[in-house]
Amino acid sequence: MDGPDCIFLFNPSTSYQLYVSDLARDGDGQPARDEVWPPGVAQKSVSSNLVISEMAGICCGVVGEGETPTPMEPSRPSRRRRLDLLPLKYIADMAVPPPETGAKRQKLDLCTSSPTQPRDCVNAVENCEPSGVKNEEENNIEPKGDAILQSTISLLNSTATTAHGNNTNEAINECPKYGVTSVCGRRRDMEDAVSVHPSFCQEKGENHKEFHYFGVFDGHGCSHVATICKDRLHEIVKEKVGGSREDLEWKSTMEQSFARMDEEVQNWSQTNQSSTCRCELQTPHCDAVGSTAVVTVVTPDKIIVSNCGDSRAVLCRNGVAIPLSSDHKPDRPDELLRVQAAGGRVIYWDGPRVLGVLAMSRAIGDNYLKPYVISEPEVTVTDRTDDDECLILASDGLWDVVSNDTACGVVRMCLKVQNPPSPPGSPGTDMAVCSAADGSDKACSDASILLTKLALARHSTDNVSVVVVDLRREKEKQESNSNDDDDSNNNIIE
Amino acid sequence: MSSSSALPSSAVYLSQITQNDNFEGETFHKFFDCWLAEQNKHLDDLFAAESSSSSKQNSNNNNNNIEDQDLKPLIDRVISHYEHYYEAKSMWAKQDVLAILSPSWMSSLEEAFLWIGGWRPTMAFHLLYSKSGLQFEARLRELMEGFRVCDLGDLSASQLTQLDRLQRKTIREEREITEMMARQQESVADASMVELSHAVSEMMRRKEGGREREKEREMEERVEETLGMKKVGLEEILKKADDLRVKTLKGIVGVLTPKQGIHFLIAAAELHLRLHEWGKKKDARKETMTRKTSSTPMLYNIAFIGDSLEKK
Repeated sequence: MDGPDCIFLFNPSTSYQLYVSDLARDGDGQPARDEVWPPGVAQKSVSSNLVISEMAGICCGVVGEGETPTPMEPSRPSRRRRLDLLPLKYIADMAVPPPETGAKRQKLDLCTSSPTQPRDCVNAVENCEPSGVKNEEENNIEPKGDAILQSTISLLNSTATTAHGNNTNEAINECPKYGVTSVCGRRRDMEDAVSVHPSFCQEKGENHKEFHYFGVFDGHGCSHVATICKDRLHEIVKEKVGGSREDLEWKSTMEQSFARMDEEVQNWSQTNQSSTCRCELQTPHCDAVGSTAVVTVVTPDKIIVSNCGDSRAVLCRNGVAIPLSSDHKPDRPDELLRVQAAGGRVIYWDGPRVLGVLAMSRAIGDNYLKPYVISEPEVTVTDRTDDDECLILASDGLWDVVSNDTACGVVRMCLKVQNPPSPPGSPGTDMAVCSAADGSDKACSDASILLTKLALARHSTDNVSVVVVDLRREKEKQESNSNDDDDSNNNIIE
Repeated sequence: MSSSSALPSSAVYLSQITQNDNFEGETFHKFFDCWLAEQNKHLDDLFAAESSSSSKQNSNNNNNNIEDQDLKPLIDRVISHYEHYYEAKSMWAKQDVLAILSPSWMSSLEEAFLWIGGWRPTMAFHLLYSKSGLQFEARLRELMEGFRVCDLGDLSASQLTQLDRLQRKTIREEREITEMMARQQESVADASMVELSHAVSEMMRRKEGGREREKEREMEERVEETLGMKKVGLEEILKKADDLRVKTLKGIVGVLTPKQGIHFLIAAAELHLRLHEWGKKKDARKETMTRKTSSTPMLYNIAFIGDSLEKK
């Protein structure tokens, strides 16, 4: 399946020999590799018995048995893929296990005792130009912010860094401190994208000045959908937020934004001819490309998380890790039912996959898997409390190997130890040598770096993207600093 | 390597070869053995430097800068030793690129992992991430509390950024070279080669009848010329591949602090030397087995091999 049908052996000392391998090895004369999807699991077909035995006891229900319900006109590759499903059809009748993700899926509409407002923490993003380093691939990370006290609105556009955050400043605008890391890791393609936009709605009026946007996108098939999401989604959300009042309906706003985003991705892939990404060679309209999206809007009193796919947002509140999104895995019981109700099936092929292809049940893009795979996000709106410590957004490159609790523990430790953050411009040990130093919030950056390194240390084989947002109120920070356990503070060597 | 003392220095050997213009696969094999012995020696030096610096670090934390200056010359020496290897390799490749691309001095284990006559450049990042991961997990607690531990577990934000950038660039360049190699390999069946192979075959068929000395010689010349062009192409690609290897190595070490650089170079040498030894051992075992198989009756032999393996 991975070898050519003809092999030329070059033997310099004698002559040239041409070996023709068994062309008819598939019986039907079809070259085997035509039927391999997804590419990485090609070998699995050989041992499908093994795959099936591994699946025993894991949920995999299928409706519409004996028929592949596809309303769409299948493209050539998708027809191939559907062919792949046939040999595995008899997996269809599997028991659906009791929902085990229930705890994870709790809605978080906890009411706060008193959302203090306005907050004391004052900071704005100051311009930082990362010394003119250019790299086209690094465009995937692009935090932006505005320092509104400056006469000109300066855009922070650090395209060349994988790790940074906003810095504090004596400005009226306040944004939680954050840190971002996004690395290629052990993969050969970078398909993650991160987008950070503090005060992204500020032109929309006073009410929305303190809306801050953070997003992590994990592409599959190619990187372009993730990249478009990074470039566009915050603008769409801004548009949808409009000039409406503070108590706007977040759920529908975010749902509309995601729907619009998905449309734009479709239009892009149908019209774009000048793309230089690798998917261009594979399918005419880049249909088999998509991206997860986990997007958070942090307002003075709320955390709005919209999720589509298997990236995740986790809140750390009073030492407890609370997931604010629930991964859209095809074997999540309600998602399984939804896929089935739409006429799709979930098939185990190197894990549960919609139609045996995609290992998540929702995503932006992925036209060829509609309507089973949808782009509608699940939105949670959580009231902020004084106990909130931090928010972590990350791609599955982190979550596959680091638990929510561990991640929160690591970030808490970083925030606690390096509290309070050094004032802007003070030479931190790292930042002194950091070419892209933007006076970023060191504690948050360190936390995101530490999580990334932990993921790499634990053999994560995927791209790793992590955003850490410090949600502590300034008052509280000083407080916690003063009564912090002494030993940990004494240990700091800077 | 116990035989290291008996081997001449690779540099001395190289100069002898250069004088006699004796670049053959066999002689590169000898050069490689000398070089390997030196790498083994360097590993000892690196390790010694690492242990002394970490013990000093425990007793005195202020000496970091002085320490770093002490380590720099060693790192430079090790790096230039790598460069020396690739310089020699390119000299040999000019004479006999085919021998360099199918290296007899490597074990079949190493050969299985070759990318254009050497290690895959992006592998260096995996080596780094793996070593860094091991050291990171060992010191997780301290790192979280803000300690500086100075090894690969303590890559800073900017280092990680630079390494990630370097990695993506290396992946891109490695792909380009892989593509070049693909084109070169496909060109084995280009029109000139197919035409020539047919012409020679025709000639061999006609040969049954009468002799065509003149024609034969002409053909031989054409074959040499055509293959020569292919070899030039291979040599260019090999050069690019080796350049990328050196560039990647230097790039990574350039991002690291001297102490981290020492750790990285240790990991690289350890992996290289041990992989070579494991492969050699396997090859040797295979060889003895084949020898025994060919000299003893089959049935008896199988039991015997199993037995002897057990004892090993």
